[in-house]
Amino acid sequence: MTPFSTPVPANTPAAPDPQAQARNRLAWALLALVPLFALAGLATGTRGLSLEAFWADLQGEQAGLILGQIRAPRTLGAALVGALLGLGGALAQGLFRNPLADPYLLGSAAGAGLAVVLVLAGAALAGTTLSLATVAWLERVGLVLAAFAGALAGVALTLALAQGAVHTLRLLLAGVVVAVLLGALSDLVTVASPDALRGKQAFMLGSTSFLGWQAVALLAAGSALLTVLALRSARALDALTLGEDSAASLGVALPRMRLLLVVLLAGATALAVAHAGLVAFVGLVAPHLVRRHAPGAHAWLLGASAAMGAALLLAADVVSRAVIAPQELPVGVVTAVIGGVYLFVLLRRRGLG
Amino acid sequence: MLNPSSVWRSPAVVLRLALLFCLLALGAGAGAAPFVLRDDRGTEHRFDAPPRRIITLLPSLTESVAVLGGSPRLVGVDRYSNWPAELAALPRLGGLDDALIEAIVTLKPDVVLASTSARSIDRLEALGFKVLRLKSETHADVRRTLSVLAQLLGTPDEGERLWARLQREIAAAAQRVPPALKGQRVYFEIGGGPYAAGRSSFIGETLSALGMDNIVPADLGPFPKLNPEYVVRARPDLVMGVAREQAALVARPGWGSIPALAHKRLCAFDTPRYEMLIRPGPRMGEAAAAMADCLAALAPR
Amino acid sequence: MKPANRIDRTTGTAPLLQCQGLHVALGGQPVLHGVDLDLASGWTAIVGPNGAGKSTLLRALAGLQPVSQGEVRLGGDPLRLMPAAQRARRLAWLAQGGQTSGELNVRETVQLGRIAQRGLLGALDADDARAVAHAMHETGCTAWASRPLHALSGGERQRVLLARVLATEAPLLLLDEPTTHLDAPHQVALARLFSRLARGTTAQGARRAVVTVLHDLPIALHADRVVVMQAGRVLAEGTPAEASLHRALEQVFDHAVQVRPGPQRAQVSLAIDED
Repeated sequence: MTPFSTPVPANTPAAPDPQAQARNRLAWALLALVPLFALAGLATGTRGLSLEAFWADLQGEQAGLILGQIRAPRTLGAALVGALLGLGGALAQGLFRNPLADPYLLGSAAGAGLAVVLVLAGAALAGTTLSLATVAWLERVGLVLAAFAGALAGVALTLALAQGAVHTLRLLLAGVVVAVLLGALSDLVTVASPDALRGKQAFMLGSTSFLGWQAVALLAAGSALLTVLALRSARALDALTLGEDSAASLGVALPRMRLLLVVLLAGATALAVAHAGLVAFVGLVAPHLVRRHAPGAHAWLLGASAAMGAALLLAADVVSRAVIAPQELPVGVVTAVIGGVYLFVLLRRRGLG
Repeated sequence: MLNPSSVWRSPAVVLRLALLFCLLALGAGAGAAPFVLRDDRGTEHRFDAPPRRIITLLPSLTESVAVLGGSPRLVGVDRYSNWPAELAALPRLGGLDDALIEAIVTLKPDVVLASTSARSIDRLEALGFKVLRLKSETHADVRRTLSVLAQLLGTPDEGERLWARLQREIAAAAQRVPPALKGQRVYFEIGGGPYAAGRSSFIGETLSALGMDNIVPADLGPFPKLNPEYVVRARPDLVMGVAREQAALVARPGWGSIPALAHKRLCAFDTPRYEMLIRPGPRMGEAAAAMADCLAALAPR
Repeated sequence: MKPANRIDRTTGTAPLLQCQGLHVALGGQPVLHGVDLDLASGWTAIVGPNGAGKSTLLRALAGLQPVSQGEVRLGGDPLRLMPAAQRARRLAWLAQGGQTSGELNVRETVQLGRIAQRGLLGALDADDARAVAHAMHETGCTAWASRPLHALSGGERQRVLLARVLATEAPLLLLDEPTTHLDAPHQVALARLFSRLARGTTAQGARRAVVTVLHDLPIALHADRVVVMQAGRVLAEGTPAEASLHRALEQVFDHAVQVRPGPQRAQVSLAIDED
């Protein structure tokens, strides 16, 4: 009675792998959908999603301006922001081993929000002392820089409060505390400065309205760097699924690895939030969708989540521009609706695992 | 020469005095008679007398009450109300969405004036306070609001009188707009969404009264959030907005191609004047004047 | 301190893993009160009642538990000073309970064991594939290579996690309750596997030292050495045939078990019938 001793011939063909097949299917689907949605983004303008209008625009004399300078960078920017959020979400879900983690968990959203509000309030004050052009420039460039720096600062504060990335639970709790604290500070500032309140509301809802080629260049460079670094940590994330002690027994330097993951998460989130504001749910839904329909190791999960995030935000951007054209919905509202519906359907079907 | 004791015996004088007395009595009585006001949500509010203690939660309503002579009756305003200066000492009661309910209740107002879209005000109504909800998106709204407020203050004619004055001020401003600029298409930005003031908004109607056109037609509503592409395609002749943001507009993707921005055909209003422009209240005439001044200063092409 | 070159009576080799005067506290509560242990190659079973500190001792031996007093030495080198990567090549640890998250399949999980040899960034080559295949074969997981881990039963998952440990090719294996969730046939198979590993008669060939924390006494008594723990101390240790060990077992388990010498090994029975 030795169930283990049945010899297996060395060259048995591998059993069919349904997970690998699912991954293939999803990869092909995303490969098709992302360019398709991007095309839809190019074709969505003041008359909504209209191929006819797109064709006319393409041939019109303003093609270079409308398509080249406004729609193309905006669409590309939306794809990159979505990819960053998807990547951040996958990193957060792997780091916290929780399928409902999102990239805003460690105080990055609260930090960015506070920084934006401070810049807006400061610009309102400075309007009386500095020249208007300077203030305007400061506000534009400053907002991007501020959101980026603020997101990183929020995460740094969380790390400090949690005394390093040593304990995952402590990190999570510290993130909650920081979010509440910074949110309160932000509210205080908006009470004092109505201009800041207006700007903050726009920021909170998320918008791709003014993404230009400069923003796209920054987003592309940042995404490339972060993706490379994230893929290098994929195996560590896999090892973490065995449990933290088992991963440590394999020689994985856990505190250093956790810190690296937190930094990558902060970087991805900060870059996305700085350019498009607080877009809701993409960072949660993209990796969750990949996990449910095409699970696998993190080397796959990270890349697929990024691609899925790009597809989701591209689609949401098209909807936000097309639904009440020539008016626009803030893209964060559309993603919130998508996210809410998705979670609702999930709850109805079965557990959220 | 009139003998004082004989005045009372002159029937003509007695009659005039009696008439005067009756009119005065009627006048005072009219002020004391109960009246019903219908607000913009359709709710009817019954007042036994003009309220003595008024709270306003919208700057335009504050200004309207002040100009209609109701300043002495104001006991509290919202945090964004900053005109006229004599109201600076009044307690600030938060904004529309975060009104300080307790503070309002402590002040024991007879009526609270708010816009139609304030959420937190429902609490006040539940507590039994009279909340008058007034919409202010178009000129017609402003006229109606002034009328309602004038009735509220017991001086029902003041509303129309003020409105007539505003009309005159706007017409006077229209005279100062250079003919070469008349009919040019304006883009008035209200915040960086970009949100625009459309033709059907009160700002748009003022612009129309000044003889200007608007790139945002009436069917898009008073304050639509536009696809930035729309503005670029529309190529407005003039751009108006708050000075702080105007300088940055040309840096938006594709906006450098808008001739108005490239040639600096901008009306960049400083913050106090911008606030006056975006408040649908008694300073609309001054607002029209400010717009006309800017237009006059822009040398026609 | 016992001399580091003390010769082990059963297998005749130098101690592989040593701890001396080990004190460990968990959450302020002392759990281990001065444990001295010399472990040589072969299969050692650590037994004792609940709360005796067996898992804690194993974790300390694996270098996963901070020690308040005392020292652990691996082949004579202090564990505390050893870089994690080097330690991972020399010993492998199996957690109790077999909880995993994520969506890896069986082969990918077993492949994680190769991190001990290749690090996080090293590419996997034919040697790694062979080690993974051996590990899966020894634990009977080969047929499930593509199945997701969470689709397996508790017992099946336990075997995959054991394969993961085997795939590290570490010469010392520290296994915490490896027979949990397994039914009798599979427990037997596992016990035989431990013996083969200890003797070096598996397909892979190398002799490994296996240290298992076990609740199951009959299996434990098939090991080469048994260590009996009670209340954070080592009460007794010896070969399974020694009568002193039998008495220690009966004492430690409150005489709920009876251990008698048997034809080949000791026999254990539960004293359920009341007199």
